[in-house]
Amino acid sequence: MKGEKILSLQNLTMNYGIKNVLTGIDLDVFQGQIIGYIGPNGAGKSTTVKIMLGLIDGYGGKVEVFGQDIASGDPSYKRRIGYVPENAEAYDNLTASEYLIFTGELYGMDRALAEEKAIKLLHEFDLGEVIHARLSSFSKGMKQKVLIISSLLHDPDLLFLDEPLSGLDANSMMIIQEILSQLAAQGKTIFYSSHIMDLVEKISNRIVLLVNGKVVADGSFEELQERSKEGSLAQIFNQLTGFTEHKNIAERFVTIVQEGNGNA
Amino acid sequence: MHDFRSLRFLALFRGLFTKFGIDFDAMQKILQVKLTMDERRVPTIFQGNNKKKEGNHFLKSLWVYGLYGLILIPFILLGENYIFQMGIVFAMVMFIVMTSMISDFSSVLLDIRDKNILDTKPISGRTLSAAKMMHVGIYMTYVTGAFAVLPLIISVFKHGPLFGLTFLAGLLFTMLFIVVLTALLYLFVLRFFDGERLKDIINYVQILLSVGVIVGYQVFIRSFEFIDLDVVYSFAWWHFAIPPLWFGALFEVVLHQNYSTYMIGFALLAVIVPIISIYCYARLMPAFERNLEKLLSDTRKRKKKWNGLDELWAKVICRGNEERIFFRFAALMMKQEREFKLKVYPGLGMGLVFPFIFIFNELRDKTITEVSLGKSFLFIYFCNLLIPTIIHMLQFSGNYKGGWIFKAAPIQQLSSIYSGTLKAFLVKLYVPVFLLLSIAFTWTFGVRIIPDLFAILLVGIVQSLITYKLINNETFPFSRSFEFAQSTGGAKIIISSLLIGVFVIAHLLLGAVKFGLYVYIAILFVAVVVGWRVVFPKRRTTVKW
Repeated sequence: MKGEKILSLQNLTMNYGIKNVLTGIDLDVFQGQIIGYIGPNGAGKSTTVKIMLGLIDGYGGKVEVFGQDIASGDPSYKRRIGYVPENAEAYDNLTASEYLIFTGELYGMDRALAEEKAIKLLHEFDLGEVIHARLSSFSKGMKQKVLIISSLLHDPDLLFLDEPLSGLDANSMMIIQEILSQLAAQGKTIFYSSHIMDLVEKISNRIVLLVNGKVVADGSFEELQERSKEGSLAQIFNQLTGFTEHKNIAERFVTIVQEGNGNA
Repeated sequence: MHDFRSLRFLALFRGLFTKFGIDFDAMQKILQVKLTMDERRVPTIFQGNNKKKEGNHFLKSLWVYGLYGLILIPFILLGENYIFQMGIVFAMVMFIVMTSMISDFSSVLLDIRDKNILDTKPISGRTLSAAKMMHVGIYMTYVTGAFAVLPLIISVFKHGPLFGLTFLAGLLFTMLFIVVLTALLYLFVLRFFDGERLKDIINYVQILLSVGVIVGYQVFIRSFEFIDLDVVYSFAWWHFAIPPLWFGALFEVVLHQNYSTYMIGFALLAVIVPIISIYCYARLMPAFERNLEKLLSDTRKRKKKWNGLDELWAKVICRGNEERIFFRFAALMMKQEREFKLKVYPGLGMGLVFPFIFIFNELRDKTITEVSLGKSFLFIYFCNLLIPTIIHMLQFSGNYKGGWIFKAAPIQQLSSIYSGTLKAFLVKLYVPVFLLLSIAFTWTFGVRIIPDLFAILLVGIVQSLITYKLINNETFPFSRSFEFAQSTGGAKIIISSLLIGVFVIAHLLLGAVKFGLYVYIAILFVAVVVGWRVVFPKRRTTVKW
């Protein structure tokens, strides 16, 4: 039941100086998939996403998005992509509506339509009061919502989300989860990275685990479970990344914290 | 992290700091971290680890100040009319220190980003603001030092060691005076306003300060009488309000043993006022930090702002939708980005005031009718000085991290980013200043100068294009951290400023010939049209990023 091939990475490598960040990634993504892209800190998740978006160049290998090699220099493929960056980076001195109109227009939307949709979407996210307030006065969660709207405003076919839920409260998280699965059901492809394993387990239909710049596991949650004989994704994650020491580390950590406390 | 010489020097005054209730060790640690951070700035977000240049970028830009400092030398060598010569020298020192303070270091004083890190630690607010103050102080010492070191050495050879010592002491007091004065002014403003309003007010204060510095300089010059080639000082009571005179008087008292009452009064002010202001600042510091919090709060409910004028401009002067998007974006950034305004508005104020200063100088020995018949309206060219500095600033933003959008979005015509931004600069910043000046000048010189003004406007556009090509050349606007604004582009800015002279000469030469002015206009017009095509070529998107 695989649809059209949306994304294809062939032997993708990337190095900063002598440090190899990605050491050969092969990955094909098909329409309608929700891919949870997980891995320990520094595994190269954000780098992969940034390469696919054209934010970083100088990579090795081949990247095809919607069947087009992104090295060809034609940016049109980006029109069908939405992106939420990590750490909610945006032009904070603009108001929510100004920022959304600006990014919407950049993706080729008509100004009036961008404004109309932005305002409607902001209201849905309970941000109706602050439409014309500057992003700099927003809390992290509010800003995250604006960036999520910004990534969806132009109705993209492919979504890249880098830690999309950071800063959101539990209710908002549920809304976003539901939005993602409904979008996927309508044939959108979603590629997101997160450290919240419960969530990845719940909403992804395919999980890709990256360790040291290499894909070490790729499949549905059930497939991963079968392979590793572990119960939860967090445990699978521990096992596949070769990490079994959390108790020992914690113990040592606490001991060190208490060191030299005699005179305090 | 290593040992900083500046910190070791500060340690000599440990006792003094402790007396003011400052935890010296904590302050030293904060400063050490801040100075280390200053050294570790990596140029842009997109470069990854490819190019890692360590080292303090600000310090690398100090040579420019050294160059400026050469202006002081003739005044020191001139003779022994200390109150005049040293008054001028100190007026210039104050000017440099003040402008550098306002545009480059206000952001440090008003910084609230590290509040979460530092305020949660058991350190008193007094210590924190002292650390901030010293951080600024260390850099201001470098600026003052770079500016005055050569003149200082030369002065020792010319006038002897006692002169040198007095000069050094004077410099120290001047610097303290200016830094503390600026801080006190912000403190005053912070008391009465809050939120976004406060940020706007701070911008206005900066413009006023820059203008004030220049006007003050004029007032200073006016307190002397030029008789033949001699400069004679005659006392008037309002001279007590002119700080450079205080410092000039210091030399008269120390070296000429001029003990007239007013000289002693001036000299005392030079010493006492900085000390008193430091004392006031030390007392008010906690309030300052408390009030800084207000910069964050913004409780007013906001309505959609009307941007009709920008809309109209976007429709009229932009070709294509993409260019229009970036025009609007850049216009908003120029209007709303605080850090950008901090850096740019003082320059705008100076662009506005400079031409008038020269006209006023003309008025010194001519009547207004004489002046109005002459060519001195060409002084309006001086407002073009704002072009290089501001165009340079267009690359930077406090929110530079938001710049990923330029690469992530499907932008077909990259040149539209740059041309839209430059058009916004011309419409939002350059033309308003130019228009104000033009109105004032037309009023003074009559309608005969309107063709000339038109030519000068075209020069402004041509110069913007050249400067843009020279300095920014396809870096995304608002996508670099201001931390690098200082260290880059210094030489290019100077070259571009010197261009003004070329245009003035061309204007004078062609203006002397019959119909020459119209030829000049025609040439400039062609230059604008052709130049725009060359600087912002239409092409398929480049492959190379």
